Amino acid sequence: MTQLLKCEFMKIRRRYIFITALVVTGAMLAWIYPNSHSEDYLRIAWMGYLYELPLVNSIFMPLLSIIVSSRLCDIEHKEGMLRQLSVSTERGKIYDAKLIFGLAIMLCCIFISWLATIGFGYYAGFGGKPPIKLYLLYLLFTTAVTFSVYIFQHIMSLCFKNQAVTFFSGAIGTFFGVFSMFLPQLPRLRKSLIWGYYSALDFVGLFGWTKDTRYKFAHFDVMEIDMGAFFVLIFATVVMYFIGREFFKRKEF
Amino acid sequence: MEEIVKTEGLTKRYKSVLSVSDLSMRVKEGRIYGFLGPNGAGKTTTLKMLLDLVHPTSGEIFIFGKRLGKDTRREILKNTGSLIESPSFYGHLTGYENLRILQTILDIPEKNIDEVLKIVRLDKQRSKKASAYSLGMKQRLGLAGALLSFPKLLILDEPTNGLDPSGIQEMRELIKALPKQYGMTVIVSSHLLSEIDRMAEDVGIIANGKMMYQGSIESLHEIDRSKSLEEIFLDLTGKEQSL
Repeated sequence: MTQLLKCEFMKIRRRYIFITALVVTGAMLAWIYPNSHSEDYLRIAWMGYLYELPLVNSIFMPLLSIIVSSRLCDIEHKEGMLRQLSVSTERGKIYDAKLIFGLAIMLCCIFISWLATIGFGYYAGFGGKPPIKLYLLYLLFTTAVTFSVYIFQHIMSLCFKNQAVTFFSGAIGTFFGVFSMFLPQLPRLRKSLIWGYYSALDFVGLFGWTKDTRYKFAHFDVMEIDMGAFFVLIFATVVMYFIGREFFKRKEF
Repeated sequence: MEEIVKTEGLTKRYKSVLSVSDLSMRVKEGRIYGFLGPNGAGKTTTLKMLLDLVHPTSGEIFIFGKRLGKDTRREILKNTGSLIESPSFYGHLTGYENLRILQTILDIPEKNIDEVLKIVRLDKQRSKKASAYSLGMKQRLGLAGALLSFPKLLILDEPTNGLDPSGIQEMRELIKALPKQYGMTVIVSSHLLSEIDRMAEDVGIIANGKMMYQGSIESLHEIDRSKSLEEIFLDLTGKEQSL
């Protein structure tokens, strides 16, 4: 496995995958940060960001997953390298090595955006201290949902030569995830597909906001933390991983 | 002489299409076995089954005396080199980097890369991106990848496809030298009778997924001395088949 991971490093030479991933992460951060915040918002901004980030993640993380998985797997399809690799090593190991490598890139991006958010909070002068426990919980949930989405994209990218299949299935999922954010009255909808879990695991609510007073009397608070949804997601991800792995192993080239 | 590859009742069906039917293949050690047949006869499917890239509908495959299966797959394929359909490579990497990846996966000495690059005469083009190679060079890079571990068995599917006459001759001479120089057994498929006639010692002729003839090239000539090899081939495969 170490050798296969080493090969993944060699393969991405001149492919600029890390840079592309960092550019997308940068675009995500640029989307969030420039919103000039009023004094009233800065007072509650640590919690405010925990409220807003899942929406941004639901757009950018699936997009990043599509890009990274597709760029990693596309090179195997282009000149029939999957056929060559299949006779050189075990298919399950190819599937795992590529997945671990892709997940490592995703984890780097998640962690960078997480650290950058906290750094920005201090820089912008968010009121009080950051609720680290809640930020860690947010990191855990974001990582879990993103890994789940990435595994889906990995399966699609590796098993289908035509990367348009990967792109469209991912785009539909992303659209569904964002759409479900705006329908909090339908909690089952957001739990029906993995992309909806950015919303399902969003645990911060906004209270007291009005059009006139805006954030003056508003506050963010922790709502129900749906650990049930979290475990359902983990279970679905594990099942998806094994189904994808088995499908890839049985695939004929 | 030991049979290094043996298939029994090998069959592959794609829905209603029978691609390979009850095929019994026998390849002797240290020989060049030409696998000849018209386009769409089932050559590539058979070779893919030998490499476990395609799963047989029924039948068995024995390579190096072991039945190809889940437990033996790795051990068998470790000693088998292949070039199937078209050469496989990463276009954005150089010839050397491509082989370095295969060498790392196969866990073999790095010096093998230089050696095979010399054999296929790509040593001076090692730093060039594979996407910038000519078709002949890509084919040679594919062969270098197949030779990298100096396997006991080499499976080449139409290795002269798309090459110009001098490239074909070069590839032919290279393949012919492999059993003597490195003790390899070579299975080489082609739809060109003249190619196999010049290269192989044994031949298997397949048409419509069925083995029509198997034996030495000399014996094939002796089927009917009054006929040319081409006529014999057409008699065996059916005249309606394309060459």
